[in-house]
Amino acid sequence: MTPTPTLAVTVMRAPRRPRAGLTFAIALGVLAAMTLAAIFAPFLAPYNPDAVDFAAVNAGPSSAHWLGTDGLGRDTLSRLIYGARTALLGPLLVVVASTVLGILLGLLAGWRGGWVDAALGRVFDVLFAFPSLLIAIMAVALFGKGLAAPVIAMSIAYAPFVARLTRSLIAAERSRPYVAAYRVQGFGGAWIALRRVLPNVTPIVGAQSTLNFGYVLAELAALSFLGLGVQPPTADWGAMINESQAGLLGGHFLPAIVPAVAVVVVVVAVNIIGEELSDRIGGGSRS
Amino acid sequence: MTVLRRIAGKLGGLLLTLFLASLLVFFSRFLVPGDPVAFLLRGRKPSPEAVAQITAQYGLDLPPWQQYLHWAAGIFQGDLGRSLQYRQDVTVVLAERLPVTLGLVVMAGTMIAVVGLIAGAAAALYRGRIADRSILIGLTVLGAIPSFVGSIVLIAVFAVQLGWFPSFGSGEGFWDTVYHLVLPSTALAIVFVVLVGKVTRSSMIDQLDREHVEVAISRGMKRGTVVRRHVFRNAVGPILTVSGMLVAGLLVASSVVEAAFGLAGIGSLLVQSVDRLDFPVVQAIVLLVVIAFVLVNAVIDVLEPWIDPRSAAGAGAR
Amino acid sequence: MTAPHSVLGTAGTGSPAASASTGLLDVRDLTLDLADGTRLLHGITLRVAAGETVGLVGESGSGKSLTARTVLGLLPARAVTTGDVELDGTGVLTASAQELRRLRRRTAAMIFQDPRAGINPMRTIGDHLTEALRLAEGWSADAARARAVELLEAVRLPRPEDHLRQYPHEFSGGMLQRVMIAGALTTSPKLLVCDEPTTALDVTTQAEIIGVLAEQRASRGMGMLFITHDLNLAASLCDRVYVMSGGHVVEQGQARVVLRDPKAEYTRRLVAATPMLAGVAPGALASAADGGHISGVIVRHAGQQHPFTGASSSISETVRAVGTDAGGSAVSAPPMLEAAGVSKTYHRRGKEPVRAVVAASVAVPRGGAVGVVGESGSGKSTLARMIVGLESADSGDIRIDGRERTAVPRSRRERLAHARSVQMVFQDPYLSLDPRITAGRAIEDALRLHGAGGGGRRRGAADARARVLDLLDQVGLGEKHAAARPRTLSGGQRQRVAIARALAVEPDVLVMDEATSALDVSVQAQVLDLVDSIRRERGLTVLFISHDLAVVRRVCDETVVMRRGEIVERGRTAGLLADPQHEYTRLLIDSVPKPGWDAEAAAVELEAADLDAGGADRSADADDVVADDADDAESAAVEAASAAASGQAR
Repeated sequence: MTPTPTLAVTVMRAPRRPRAGLTFAIALGVLAAMTLAAIFAPFLAPYNPDAVDFAAVNAGPSSAHWLGTDGLGRDTLSRLIYGARTALLGPLLVVVASTVLGILLGLLAGWRGGWVDAALGRVFDVLFAFPSLLIAIMAVALFGKGLAAPVIAMSIAYAPFVARLTRSLIAAERSRPYVAAYRVQGFGGAWIALRRVLPNVTPIVGAQSTLNFGYVLAELAALSFLGLGVQPPTADWGAMINESQAGLLGGHFLPAIVPAVAVVVVVVAVNIIGEELSDRIGGGSRS
Repeated sequence: MTVLRRIAGKLGGLLLTLFLASLLVFFSRFLVPGDPVAFLLRGRKPSPEAVAQITAQYGLDLPPWQQYLHWAAGIFQGDLGRSLQYRQDVTVVLAERLPVTLGLVVMAGTMIAVVGLIAGAAAALYRGRIADRSILIGLTVLGAIPSFVGSIVLIAVFAVQLGWFPSFGSGEGFWDTVYHLVLPSTALAIVFVVLVGKVTRSSMIDQLDREHVEVAISRGMKRGTVVRRHVFRNAVGPILTVSGMLVAGLLVASSVVEAAFGLAGIGSLLVQSVDRLDFPVVQAIVLLVVIAFVLVNAVIDVLEPWIDPRSAAGAGAR
Repeated sequence: MTAPHSVLGTAGTGSPAASASTGLLDVRDLTLDLADGTRLLHGITLRVAAGETVGLVGESGSGKSLTARTVLGLLPARAVTTGDVELDGTGVLTASAQELRRLRRRTAAMIFQDPRAGINPMRTIGDHLTEALRLAEGWSADAARARAVELLEAVRLPRPEDHLRQYPHEFSGGMLQRVMIAGALTTSPKLLVCDEPTTALDVTTQAEIIGVLAEQRASRGMGMLFITHDLNLAASLCDRVYVMSGGHVVEQGQARVVLRDPKAEYTRRLVAATPMLAGVAPGALASAADGGHISGVIVRHAGQQHPFTGASSSISETVRAVGTDAGGSAVSAPPMLEAAGVSKTYHRRGKEPVRAVVAASVAVPRGGAVGVVGESGSGKSTLARMIVGLESADSGDIRIDGRERTAVPRSRRERLAHARSVQMVFQDPYLSLDPRITAGRAIEDALRLHGAGGGGRRRGAADARARVLDLLDQVGLGEKHAAARPRTLSGGQRQRVAIARALAVEPDVLVMDEATSALDVSVQAQVLDLVDSIRRERGLTVLFISHDLAVVRRVCDETVVMRRGEIVERGRTAGLLADPQHEYTRLLIDSVPKPGWDAEAAAVELEAADLDAGGADRSADADDVVADDADDAESAAVEAASAAASGQAR
C-alpha cells in the first residue's frame, strides 16, 4: 500500500550526470605520482633538502634548480619531493585511525541503540563542539610541537564524524526487511551486524573518509604553517610556505607558490576521487 | 506547549555539552605526564615565592575537582585566569584582541553567506547544465585552497604585485580597518564558501526533486515563485545547521589568517600562547570557541520550530 | 501509428460520442523521448469529451502516468515530443510559458498519488490551498480564504476553518488526499487528471475518496482522466478506458465491455490476472467453494492428488460453518499453527499505549491456507511478526506443530528451531533481500545455517549448490539467476528468491506478509499461483496476510478479518464473502470496487454504515471523518510503534 514511484516520477527526477571518467583518472594519476615521489624521494630528489647554499638564495628557475631555491638557498624541488612524505603520511594515519575507530563506535551505537547510543551520542556532541584544528592546537599545547600529538588528536577529532555517519547508516539498515529476514532465518544478531550489515555500510563510509583526507591534509599543513606542526628544518609544504613569507615581500614568489600549488593539487585530486567514489558507491549499491 | 518542552530539552542538552566540554578543557592539563603544577610553569624559572603565590592564586594545591569548581566559578564572574606571558588578566588580553577577530569573522561571514548561497542556489537551479558544472568545478578548486594558501596567494598577487591592498596589520579607524581586512577575510572565507555552497546546492536539489514542487507547478504558478516558496524555504534547514557548525571553525581558522597577515587578534594570540607556553590563555580561548559553538547552536535550535514545523510536533523530518 | 496487437475500436476514435474535435482533451499520436533518446511513449492517441470520465489503465512502466503529466505539460527535463496534445482547443506542447500556466490554473488540474509528498510539509494547509489564487490570480487573502473554506467543506472535511491553520503532518492520508482534491478544484477546472489517487490508501478510505471525486464530478460537470492499475476501479468509475502497456495503447472502449470481453492479448491477461471478489476463484482449494457451503469434514491422506482440480490433498481440512466465531469445531488432527489469545501492546513515552493486537486466536490446519485481512493499523502485521519470532507477545500462546513458539528465540538452538518452524516472505521485494548478496548465496546461507535435511548433517559445497539450483527451479527461476544480485532482478523475481530462501529452511509454516502487495497485477498472479502450487506439492501450511480480500480469496480456504487489533470475523473465505456477518467485513467488501458498482451509492452507504441512528446529514459526515481521523491516527500510531519496536528488536 505504500506508493511505489511510477515510471513517470522516476524518469522526471533523474537527470543523468555525465561520467567524469577522465578527471577521475587524472586525479588518480596525480595522487599516485605524489605517493611514489614520497616513497622514492631519496632517489628522485636532485639535492639534499637540507643543503643550504648561500650563494644561490631565492634564485629563480634554472637548469641547476628547476624550481629555484628558497631563502636559505635550498633546492625547492627537492624540498617539494621530500615534503610529500609528511604531507601524505600524516593524513593517511589520521584517516585510517579515525575510520577504524569511527566505524567501531558507530556500529556499536547504531546497532545496539538504547543507552549505548545515547551515551556515545553525548561523547560525540562534546567532540563536535571543538573544531578539529583546535583540538590539534590543544594537543600541541599539551604535548609539544611536532606531528605526533596533532595526528593522534585529529584521529580522535575525526572519529565522531565517521561514527555519526556509520551510526545513521547502520540504524537505517537495521530496520530494513532483509535484516528481519535474516533473523527469521535464524541468524544471530552479531553475525548479521558484522557479516552482513557492516559490509553494506563500510564502502559508503570509506568513500566519505577519503574526502576527510583532503581536510586533514590542509589542516596539518596549516599547523605546520603556524610553526606548531612539523618543525624546521624538516621539509614540509606548510612549513615551507611559512618560511617563505619573508621572501614574499621581496617579490620572491616561487618558494611559496610551489608548495602552495602542491597542496591545492593534491587536495583537489583527493576530493575528486572521494566524490566520485561517494557517488558511485552511495548511489550504486542501493537500488 | 510541547514546542517549549522540546526547545528546553535541546538547550539542556547543549548546556550539558558545554559542561562536559569545560571538563575536557580543564582536565586536559592533567593528561600530561608529570606534575600539573610544573606543567603550567614550563619554560619559566620563577622564584619559590612566585611559585607559592601562583599556587595560592590558582588554588593549585587543592584537589582537582575543587580546582575545576574554582575555575568554573571564576568564569561566571568573568575571570578567565591570568596570562603568564603578559602578567595580566586573560580577560583584559582577550578584550584587546577581540575586535580584530570579530571584524574578520563578520566580513568573512558576509562573504560566505552571500557568495555561498547564490552559487549553491544557481548550481541547483541550473543542475546538469553549464552553469552548474562550472560552479561545481569552481567549488572543487576553491575548496582545496586552505586559508594559509589563500593568504599567501592573495598577498603575492594583490598586495605585493598589484599593491591594491595592504599585507600587514589591521589599520586605524573603522574604514581603514575594513580596508586592511579585505584580503584576510577573503582568504578565510574561501573554504567555507565552498562548504555552504555545496550544502545549499545539495539541499535545494533534494527539494527540487520533491513532489510538492511538481504539484505547485501543476497548479499554474510561476517557476520563480515556486522556487522561492517551496524549494528555498524547505532547503533552509540543513543549510542553517551546517552554518552553525561553521562558526566555531571560522574562529579557529582565523588563527591562520591572522598569522599570515600579522593581525593582532584572538587567533594569533592562541598560536602565540602555545608557542610561549601560556596555558591559561590557551585554555580560555578554547573555552571561548566552545561557548561560541554552543551559543550559535542554541540560537538555531530555538529557531528550528519556525524553520520546520514538523519538528515542533516531534514528527519526523523527511 | 498503431502498435501490433492493439485494438482501437471503430473508426480509430473509440466512442462515437467523442468524435467532435471540440473534445476537452485531445491527444494525437503523442511520442515522448528522453534526452538520451529512449522512447517512452509510442504514439498515444486518446480523447476525453467534456463531462466524460476516461480511465487510463496499465501496470508499472506502461507510461500512463507520463501521459497524464503531459496533459499538464509536466515533461521530464529536455524530453522531446511529437504529436499534439490539445486541452480545450489549446495546444499544450506548443504553448508559451504563460499560456501553459493559464491552462494549469483554469482548464485542467491534477491530483497525485501521494498527498504527503505532494503538499509542502513546512507550510500550512491554508497556504497550499490559497497560494495559487493569491499569487497567480491576484485574489485578496480574504477571498482566497473564503474559497478555501468552501472547498474544504465540499470535500467533506469537518472543521475547515481550523484546518487552514494546520500542517500536513497533523492529517491522516485520507484527509490529506481530500485536501489535495480541494486544492485542485480551487479554480474550477474543466478537466481533472487523477494519478492513482487512492493507491496509497486503505480500501475503505479509497471508497470515500472515490465518493468525494464522484460527487465533485457530478456537481461540476468536470471531465476526468483517471489513471489506475486497478481494472475494477476503472470499470466502476469510468465511461471509457484505454489500456496501456509499454508506452502503447493496446485497447480502448467502454469500460465494462473491455473488462468483460477484452480483445487484446495483453488486456486478456490483465483481466485474468486481476483478483476479483466474485466469480470463479482460480486456484482456490476445495473447488466447490464458489459461493457454496461446505459441510462436514474431509480427511485425505497425504500425497494424493485430486484428479480434477489438481489440488493436493495432503491436508486435513477443518470446516467451520459459515460465519460462526472461533471455538467448537471438529478437528481430526491438531492444527499446524495455533495462536491463542495473543496480545501485544506498545507503550510509548508520553502518549497513550497502543493496543496493536488484542486476544487474537488463529488456527491453520496442516497444509491449509488461512488469510488474515485488515487495513492499516489492524494489527495483522504485528500478529505475523509475533508468530515468526520478531516480536514478543505480551500474553497468549503460539504453537507450531504442537511445539511452543511464543517466546522470541534467544539462544542459537532456539533460533534455529523457531526458524525451522516458521519462515516469512516480506512485503517489500526491494528491501527484503540483502543488496550485496547474490540470490544463490542468499539461499545457500540459509541452507548452510540449518545443515538442511534431517539430523543437522552438514552439506558439502556441491551438494548445497545442487540444492540451491533445485530450489530456484521450484520457484521458476534458472541457474543464471543464482549469480544475480537483487538489483538486477525484477520485483516478481525477487519475491521468488525470497520464497526459495524461505523454503530452503523447510519450515512447517510459511507466513506471507503482504508478499504480493507491491507487485504488478500480472506478476502478483504468477507469484500467487506459485505459492498455491508449492503448497499443494509440499503440503506447506500458509498464513497469508493481506489488505486485499480478492487476493486472499484466491489463495486461502479460510479468512480471518482483523480490525484495530481484534479479530472481528472468521470463516471459510467463500462463505465470508458471500454472507459477511460483521458490519466491518461488510464495509470492507462493499468498499472494494467492482464493475457494476455505483460509486455514489456506495458513498452514501458508507455514511449510513457509520451512523448510530439513520439519516445522512452533515454531522454524520463529520462523524464519519472523525472516526476515520481516530482510525487513521491510531493506525498510524500502531504502525509507528511497531516500526520503532522492530527497529529496537534484537
